[in-house]
Amino acid sequence: MAVIRDMMPVFELFQPASIDEALNLLDAHRGDVWVLGGGMDSFDWLKDRTKRVSTVVDLSQVGELRGIKEANGGLEIGATTTLTEVVHHPVVREKFRILAEAAEMVASPQIRNQATLGGNVSQDTRCWYYRSGWSCYRAGGNICYADTPTAINREHAILQQDRCVAVSPSDTAPALIALDAEFVIRSTGGERVVKAEEYFLGPQIDITHMTVLRPGELLTAIRIPATWANAQFYWEKVRDRNVWDFPLVNVASAMKLSGTTISDVRIAVGAVAARPLRLTAVEAATKGKPRTEETASAAGELAIQGATPLRYNAYKIPLMRNLVKRAIRGNAQATT
Amino acid sequence: MDFLTWGRNPWGQRILTHISWDLFWAALFAGLMFLVAHASYMILSSNRKRAKAETDALEAANKDLPPLITRHTFMARMFHWVMAFSMFALLLTAFLPIVGIRFAWVQWHWMAGLLLTASIIYHIIHAAFFMDFWSIWIGPKDIPEFRHEMAAELAGSGDGPKTGKYPLGNRLYHLALVVVGLSVSISGMLMMSRVRQPIFQRNPYIMADTTWGFTYVLHGACGVALVGLVIAHVYFALRPEKFWITKSMIFGTITRRQYLEHHDPRRWNVRSGAAGR
Amino acid sequence: MAENTNKLIGQNYTTPDIVAKVTGKAKYAEDYRVDGMLWTKLMLSPMPHARVKNIDVSAALAMPGVKAIITADDLPEAQGGGTLGEGVQASNQGEKILTKEPAYEGEPILAVAAVDELTAAEAIEKIVVEYEPLPFVVDPIEGLRPGSPNARLQGNTWFARQAAPPPAGAAAGGAAAGAAGTAPGAAAPPPGAAVAGAATPQQGAAAGASNAPQGGTRGAGPAAAGSAPAAGAAAGARAGGPPAGAPPRPEIQELKWEQADFDEAAKTGHMPTGKPAPGSEWTFGNPEEGFKQADLILEETFVSQSTGHQPLETRSAMAYWQNGKLFLYGSTQSTVQTIGSVARWVGIKPTELVLVSEYTGGGFGSKIPGAISMAIPALLSKKAQAPVMMRISREEEHYIGRARSGIHSRVKVGFRKDGKITAIDLYAVGDNGPYEAQGDYRSVGNTVSLCYQPAHMRFRGITVLTNTPPRTSQRAPGGMQGNGLMEPVMAKAARKLGIDEVEIHKINAPHGKAPFGPAVARGRQAYVTSCFIPEALDKGRELFNWDEKKARSGKRVGTKVRGCGVAVSAYSGGSTGFDGLFVIKPDGRVQFQSGIGNHGTHSVIDVHRVAAEMIGADWSLCDVVWGDTSKNLPWTSISAGSQTTHAMTRAAHAAATDAIAKLQEIAAKMKGGNPAAYKVGGGKVSGPGGSITLAQAAQKAIELGGKYDGHELPTDINGLTKASAAKLAGMGLMGVAKDNYPRDGQTQSYAVGFAEVEVDVETGKYSIVDFTLIADVGIVVNPRSLQGQAFGGAMLGIGHAISQKWVYDQHYGVPLAKRFHYNRPPTILDKPVEMKFAALNIPDPETPVGARGIGEPPVGAGYGAVMNALAAAVGDEVFRRTPVTPDVILMALEHGGQRQHEALTAHI
Repeated sequence: MAVIRDMMPVFELFQPASIDEALNLLDAHRGDVWVLGGGMDSFDWLKDRTKRVSTVVDLSQVGELRGIKEANGGLEIGATTTLTEVVHHPVVREKFRILAEAAEMVASPQIRNQATLGGNVSQDTRCWYYRSGWSCYRAGGNICYADTPTAINREHAILQQDRCVAVSPSDTAPALIALDAEFVIRSTGGERVVKAEEYFLGPQIDITHMTVLRPGELLTAIRIPATWANAQFYWEKVRDRNVWDFPLVNVASAMKLSGTTISDVRIAVGAVAARPLRLTAVEAATKGKPRTEETASAAGELAIQGATPLRYNAYKIPLMRNLVKRAIRGNAQATT
Repeated sequence: MDFLTWGRNPWGQRILTHISWDLFWAALFAGLMFLVAHASYMILSSNRKRAKAETDALEAANKDLPPLITRHTFMARMFHWVMAFSMFALLLTAFLPIVGIRFAWVQWHWMAGLLLTASIIYHIIHAAFFMDFWSIWIGPKDIPEFRHEMAAELAGSGDGPKTGKYPLGNRLYHLALVVVGLSVSISGMLMMSRVRQPIFQRNPYIMADTTWGFTYVLHGACGVALVGLVIAHVYFALRPEKFWITKSMIFGTITRRQYLEHHDPRRWNVRSGAAGR
Repeated sequence: MAENTNKLIGQNYTTPDIVAKVTGKAKYAEDYRVDGMLWTKLMLSPMPHARVKNIDVSAALAMPGVKAIITADDLPEAQGGGTLGEGVQASNQGEKILTKEPAYEGEPILAVAAVDELTAAEAIEKIVVEYEPLPFVVDPIEGLRPGSPNARLQGNTWFARQAAPPPAGAAAGGAAAGAAGTAPGAAAPPPGAAVAGAATPQQGAAAGASNAPQGGTRGAGPAAAGSAPAAGAAAGARAGGPPAGAPPRPEIQELKWEQADFDEAAKTGHMPTGKPAPGSEWTFGNPEEGFKQADLILEETFVSQSTGHQPLETRSAMAYWQNGKLFLYGSTQSTVQTIGSVARWVGIKPTELVLVSEYTGGGFGSKIPGAISMAIPALLSKKAQAPVMMRISREEEHYIGRARSGIHSRVKVGFRKDGKITAIDLYAVGDNGPYEAQGDYRSVGNTVSLCYQPAHMRFRGITVLTNTPPRTSQRAPGGMQGNGLMEPVMAKAARKLGIDEVEIHKINAPHGKAPFGPAVARGRQAYVTSCFIPEALDKGRELFNWDEKKARSGKRVGTKVRGCGVAVSAYSGGSTGFDGLFVIKPDGRVQFQSGIGNHGTHSVIDVHRVAAEMIGADWSLCDVVWGDTSKNLPWTSISAGSQTTHAMTRAAHAAATDAIAKLQEIAAKMKGGNPAAYKVGGGKVSGPGGSITLAQAAQKAIELGGKYDGHELPTDINGLTKASAAKLAGMGLMGVAKDNYPRDGQTQSYAVGFAEVEVDVETGKYSIVDFTLIADVGIVVNPRSLQGQAFGGAMLGIGHAISQKWVYDQHYGVPLAKRFHYNRPPTILDKPVEMKFAALNIPDPETPVGARGIGEPPVGAGYGAVMNALAAAVGDEVFRRTPVTPDVILMALEHGGQRQHEALTAHI
């Protein structure tokens, strides 16, 4: 069959008005249904005819999926809340600033107006080989085109490479991991709640899916506990361009200090592996240490243990090291 | 049910990627159905043993044989169990994720694959130089035994030629395993060039897309075949009338009586010592 | 400069097309709808090089709603001959509209017309094409390796056949569009230029945008060529055989370098250099001697990337046939200059075409004579007997939308202690794509020669065919790459010699009638009309605050370090010999006929303000007709190669001069006295006998007839202008004339860029904090538009410096970055935080209005300045290729400032 792009094929579109209706639809069409949030990832796949379904369930009319509520000193953010809404929400800005900062660095203003938080964490990888519609591992095939002696893999993984070397493209995911968020997943069978860092899957576990979402399941909300409200935050994203670009590497940290000593810390890095990585070893090693350049440098070195470069992405190792260093060091710049 | 899974290479050409995993379920089903069918048949049929008196007589005439006869040397047994272990590891790491039990299986799979390959290489050398190499193979001289086995199964006759060291079924199984095992092992070694491992440089382009397609299908088909073969093997190993053989694979020996009852001393001469190893 | 006393020239104004643009009412090609219109989708080659063995369309044709399918079998017969003046050359080795031997992934194989796009797409999925893959190459250097595959079955580069001396008078009947740049029909072609002309078969237009020195030093070639009637030339072509004066047809052959060339390079880490293409080598002076005089010799390899033009409007087009004429709604840079090319592609006479292109969403060189793909809806419409709309997607635009030739280059430069360059030895390898020969690599040599004025220079080069999308001139083709190669060398030399970077540029800057390129006549080089780069450097130094910024350059504060740099650039700035045409009507309004394309530069309107100023017309009473070839347009330059403002202000000046003479004569007839005693101004013609209004003069002109109202026309104007003027005759007082003004030297424009960057040394990420551009482009016609063009051009260069690129997988020869996001053109937030602009506003002495083009020079200035600022911040050895992305900087800083990036691999 000849390949043709940029022409969305015919499908049946459902626009349920409630979560239950949506879940029933997902059940009824299991195996042949696409969940449409803001469409910023979906439309590429559909228009390019690389992923074909006969049914699309559009969540835009499900009011209960959208909006930000305060709950127990924290927040519950509906999955289809737009990134613009997240960026401008006063409590997000006041108490959980890294989420606003991360969301504000996603793509471009137009895309943020349309893109949803649930979509941003659930989006598929941007590996350009995979996106070309070829039968790579992630597409159910048996090869990684991005990890060959001639492949152009500047934007690929340095950690947890397992056949597939694609990376997680999400900016909000590391921030949510740093905030110890929980993801609420519902299906007709009920509800389950997973920790942010456990929502994401690497290829070693599941090479064709980026998240733990299974057919019939819907991410309905993201809960941010009060635990890290007003902590010391650090967010940074390095990208080629200043707008409309995915991260080369991003980092998010939340830190509690007693005096100058780090009493508790959470840190996560994105775009270095297929899932955003919570750096538990770095957390353990820095807890109880003073927040100094030395602690930060050691943290950076620790973070890149085991990192393996591909042909074109060796820079990600020092970049990750330096970003982790900064995330521990904080906004005060080094004077050397 | 599909037999093959197709994909598209960067030039838009249709390429084989795998066998269809439906075949795994088919093999599993077939293996289990055979097991049920055979077990039912064995229960219902009047499968006759050889006359006890005949064996008594033979035992009396061969008192000079040791009470325990070595059937498998320590090294041969080691090989068998190492291979069995790696085979189970390979099948589990291969098929559990397909069944839906997800874990980081790839490195266990190729490490087990290396172990299997190493044991196969060992076995080939060992068998070629230190064992009665031809005792396991099948030839025209097996036709009487085959006829007898069939007769035994169908007519319930207990008489007929006895087996050599390895019963015909055993040898047929070995032959199947040689074919499937070598195929899966060689294709598996080639496939290692597609994953990251410390042994050689990853290069998925050492073969053309089409060649790779056949390699994957071969590997998958052999893997699925092994599911069936392993089910059959385990089943027969656990069957009461064959259990003496299984024990010999654990302890290395059979009794003089078992030797005389089941084996043809001309075809497996333990006195000469040559074939005993 | 004295204060501007002009009412229109040099004053800002609101162009008449702007409201429609900003309100969305402007109609671009894909906005048109006609009854019964079908839609088309293209089937593209999935392989970089293949032979189509069989096409089975039966299942597609059987679908309801599918109306017609065209393949390569449905194309008009290729016409032989050289560049015929339509801006295209028919060559049996050149690009086809549709093909059965695709030479790059994405090349159109067939097109389906159906009742809607969805049906067309579904139909394409049902078509079965059997391909036989052929050997391919996507990297030009790899394509030169002994034993490597060739991009085409015939070879890997273009060979020019030996040029026969052109017959007398050939220039007059020869290339028109092509004339502007390389003048293949010029009487005494220089060795280099002749091949450039011949080796640029696709587009004389592309040649027009090249930076090659023109044949005659007095511009005789272009002037003569301007009079070539387009219709006549094309008609001649159909009559069979190349018309007189057509250059010899080049052909594809194989040229491989020696293994020893590659071995030498492997040892030194430089680009290998081997045998150049025949004719692609010139020497001026004695480079060996020059290097002996040098105190410092630097040798560097530099790689500039291929990039798509990526205009916001893709090359969509709609076509239908009515009364034997083709009506084509397309996206083109040049209106009049697109007639001949479309006629050639579709196989019709120029008079059988009505082209409508009122608004074009950018071209940057990719749509100079329209696009070959415009022929698809035209031919499909003919077959389906219904109008056909072809909308081109962004991904399709990557494939068929043209691209800049990436240049691999190696240069050796000798400097004296005082900073003066003694000699340059330069080798440039162009990534040509699969089809028509590109002149970028040659322009590299000419640009370097002009901008840095070496007394001794050797140039060698070759353009190598690759199985990547077709190239064409992209804004400053070869010029940008030449500046990119040389500027880091200039900055490094300045640091090594302890000379200020602005000073070293001044020491080597061209000035006045500066010479450049190979010797063209009597051992002398061609020279430019004027050049004021030293003045521009001084002005920029002040406006940019260079000295203060230089003082903090390279000093680290926290994790940040700043650096500032400067770069010069030059590019062809105008052609000559075109016609102006306007009518003063009895109602007092003045109607200007504009054959210029409207692709965002405003020159489509701007140039006519010269004539309005001269005849003293109130601008609110002026109308400009543009964008439709049925609306009586005059012979006009291509809207490319920075030519329009120069060429068409001259034509406007000529037409206004003609009108003024007629106004004076009419006033004298009506009011008595000597015509010369009457002055034109303020909407009146006033003199000793009193004054008349322009309206009265127009009324009188109609009464008088003859030359006054266009019933008698000058004999030297182009046939197209004659035909248009004839239809306007009797409507009022006509101003019509050909630009016959003399010109001594070749028109080039110049820009100087200054940039300051701030680099974060822990991430490699940087921002451009300040940027200043000084333009030496003659008199300013439209200040606001000029600044827009200056910044726009600079941003194109900056995009090449910081982010924009192509990415190709070498194993399959297919692109990985084919849409906006992964190609990474710069965004609005990547532009310099501060941007300042000034124009010298010094008139060019060789053109009556004094104005030259601005389009191209800012590109190289932006490109070089940012690179030099980066080098000042992080070191001279950090990069030798662009784009300079954060990873390049970070990896070098991790390794003691030594570059870690791949030296030569293309498209990474």
